Amino acid sequence: MSIFEYNGSAIIAMAGKDCVAIGSDLRFGVQLQTMTTDYKKVYQIHDKLFIGLGGLATDTQTLHQRLVMRHNLYKLREERDIKPSTFAALVSAIMYEKRFGPYFASPVIAGLEPDGSPYICGMDSIGATETAKDFIVTGTNSESLFGMCESMWRPELEQEELFEVISQCLLSGIDRDALAGWGAVVYVITKDKVVARTLKGRMD
Amino acid sequence: MGSNAGGFDFELVKRNALLEAKGVPPPRAWKTGTTIAGVIYKDGVVLAADTRSTSGSTVADKNCEKIHFIAPNIYCCGAGTAADTENVTAMVSSHLELHKYATGRQARVVTAMTLLKSHLFRYQGHVSAALILGGVDLHGPHLFTIFPHGSTDALPYATMGSGSLNAMAVFEAGYKDDMSREEAMALAARAIRSGVYNDLGSGSNVDLCIITAGGVEYLRNYEFLQAKTYSRVFPVKYPPGTAPVLKTKVTLSEVAVIEGVESMETDS
Amino acid sequence: MLLDTSVLEVRYNSSRAEAEPLGNILAADGAAAQFALPAVKDIDAFEREVVEMVKPSHGTTTLGFIFQGGVIIAVDSRATMGSYISSQTVKKVIEINKYLLGTMAGGAADCQFWQRNLGTQCRLFELNNGKRITVRAASKLLSNTMFSYRGMGLSMGTMVAGWDPTGPGLYYVDSDGQRTKGQVFSVGSGSLYAYGVLDAGYSWDMSVDDAIELGRRSIYHATFRDCASGGTVSVYHVTEDGWKKVRGDDVTECHFEYYPDPSNHPSTGTPVI
Repeated sequence: MSIFEYNGSAIIAMAGKDCVAIGSDLRFGVQLQTMTTDYKKVYQIHDKLFIGLGGLATDTQTLHQRLVMRHNLYKLREERDIKPSTFAALVSAIMYEKRFGPYFASPVIAGLEPDGSPYICGMDSIGATETAKDFIVTGTNSESLFGMCESMWRPELEQEELFEVISQCLLSGIDRDALAGWGAVVYVITKDKVVARTLKGRMD
Repeated sequence: MGSNAGGFDFELVKRNALLEAKGVPPPRAWKTGTTIAGVIYKDGVVLAADTRSTSGSTVADKNCEKIHFIAPNIYCCGAGTAADTENVTAMVSSHLELHKYATGRQARVVTAMTLLKSHLFRYQGHVSAALILGGVDLHGPHLFTIFPHGSTDALPYATMGSGSLNAMAVFEAGYKDDMSREEAMALAARAIRSGVYNDLGSGSNVDLCIITAGGVEYLRNYEFLQAKTYSRVFPVKYPPGTAPVLKTKVTLSEVAVIEGVESMETDS
Repeated sequence: MLLDTSVLEVRYNSSRAEAEPLGNILAADGAAAQFALPAVKDIDAFEREVVEMVKPSHGTTTLGFIFQGGVIIAVDSRATMGSYISSQTVKKVIEINKYLLGTMAGGAADCQFWQRNLGTQCRLFELNNGKRITVRAASKLLSNTMFSYRGMGLSMGTMVAGWDPTGPGLYYVDSDGQRTKGQVFSVGSGSLYAYGVLDAGYSWDMSVDDAIELGRRSIYHATFRDCASGGTVSVYHVTEDGWKKVRGDDVTECHFEYYPDPSNHPSTGTPVI
């Protein structure tokens, strides 16, 4: 069994028209056992920047804490929030630093750039970045998530429909994954607000 | 940990080795299965690459960039582990920028080549980057291949990656000395195309980068070979309210206090 | 009767001639089907490789218990390949005949094949003896078959339940050749969770409706905690008139029936948003 399957996760980020969405499942488990169903894997960095961390929970938590610290240091020095693309470079550098002993985590970054354009980006466990104009997925059943997104995503989705599309992709994707699910959470980020919603999913 | 000293951090190596010894397979890094190629022609160098990135048998990125910037007159195609090619080229690029400030001269291609090979040699092939370095400096056009263990070759035409045999076949058949720009571009693109079509690790599109003494032309998706062949004639549209929402919370951006982890909790 | 010790001998040999005695044992077993053994030296190592290759679905929760109103059998319906859910609608109760049920845990193919084979044997018994087979005898036929293939890579954990002239019967039979009579059983990766609920709620005197609900609830709780179990919960009730399927509910519907307000659920300690 891969170490990425120890806790289980499913994360999708999707770009829309002047908006982005990012969501994750809510299961926290230890191998076959489900421990809690209130464990979201998407963290807010600031108003217009979220990061989803899939993989081994002990590493994603450590990584998240380091990222929060680095963002705080950035704010002290620069007196502004970090740009999503800059943040992605930071995450990549932190991941690549451990090239020969990586964090078992695969980050997904979603945010709005200062000019309002959507930015989404994914990474492997050693910091190889992939910026996409459509969607990024990661998790224990990324094949199913890929398949859903490939067939459901369209360009220029408005925020309401973006939410519906990402939700369907996430819910259907995790319905085929034994290690993820038990409900989901989705954030839709626009220039003036963040809308967070929890979704009803299968509970098995 | 997390110091600004640079270099690698081996903190988790022991733990991960322990897990591996217990039978847990290590994570799969993204690879650039890859066909990359380069060819010298009359007044410069043409670099070419496919745009597929893979994770196992899954295509992780259908349109990634494999021709990396090194200096205004030097570019580098990368094959191997994606994180390694990206970072090793970025590092050398940064070194050369500083070197330029120190010397006040344009960077030479051999300098870039030496920096790359000495880094790769130091890590004994564990930094798995297979590179084709091309550029034009005061000595004219140069083309190098650099292998993950640090060995190098200076060649008139070169290929690398899993599709290197396909591409080399095209070069062997079609290369001539002192080609024109158009001839070189067509040959390089054809070499990559043979990788895209015949090598499973390579795919999608062809990127070209033409470097001359006069400047650089970076032709992203010079040939767009593999666009999505199928799209729904009547796309599935979910009307608002389709997804079963349990709870909604709206946070206005201006109001939110940014405090890292708990910043969502604006009303508690 | 003399003990048939030939099963203890080394019989997986590359030469066909030496593998012959096995055919005789099985023929003596009546209708027991036989399949050709692979011509390899080390059959254990070979089977380990094969099992690794085909990865049979191991995740399951099944349970059965006897009470004053008969026998209750309840199962989930999920099949997994690694962490991939290959089906949510697997039929894990095998209806051997009108009075006999078998449950499925372990390798799906092994369970299906051998319980169908058991059905054949039971019918032959009826034709030979002019009376219905007892649960005790039927379960022994299955365990004998299992024992004859012991160590060869079969994977099966089953309950044989039913009704015969002696009353209700419930037996646990597995691919190791173990056979145990009992009043309450649960088998599969989610069995520990099911036992928790089942033992807490069980009493001999419970009503039929309560027993059905107990079986359903036990399976639901197992599907919630065990990620290799899920889909639907099917409940069967066996009486002297034979078995009857009484429930077939989606476990997610059970969840929202038991916990209408998700925020009240014990595993949801902190609000997500």
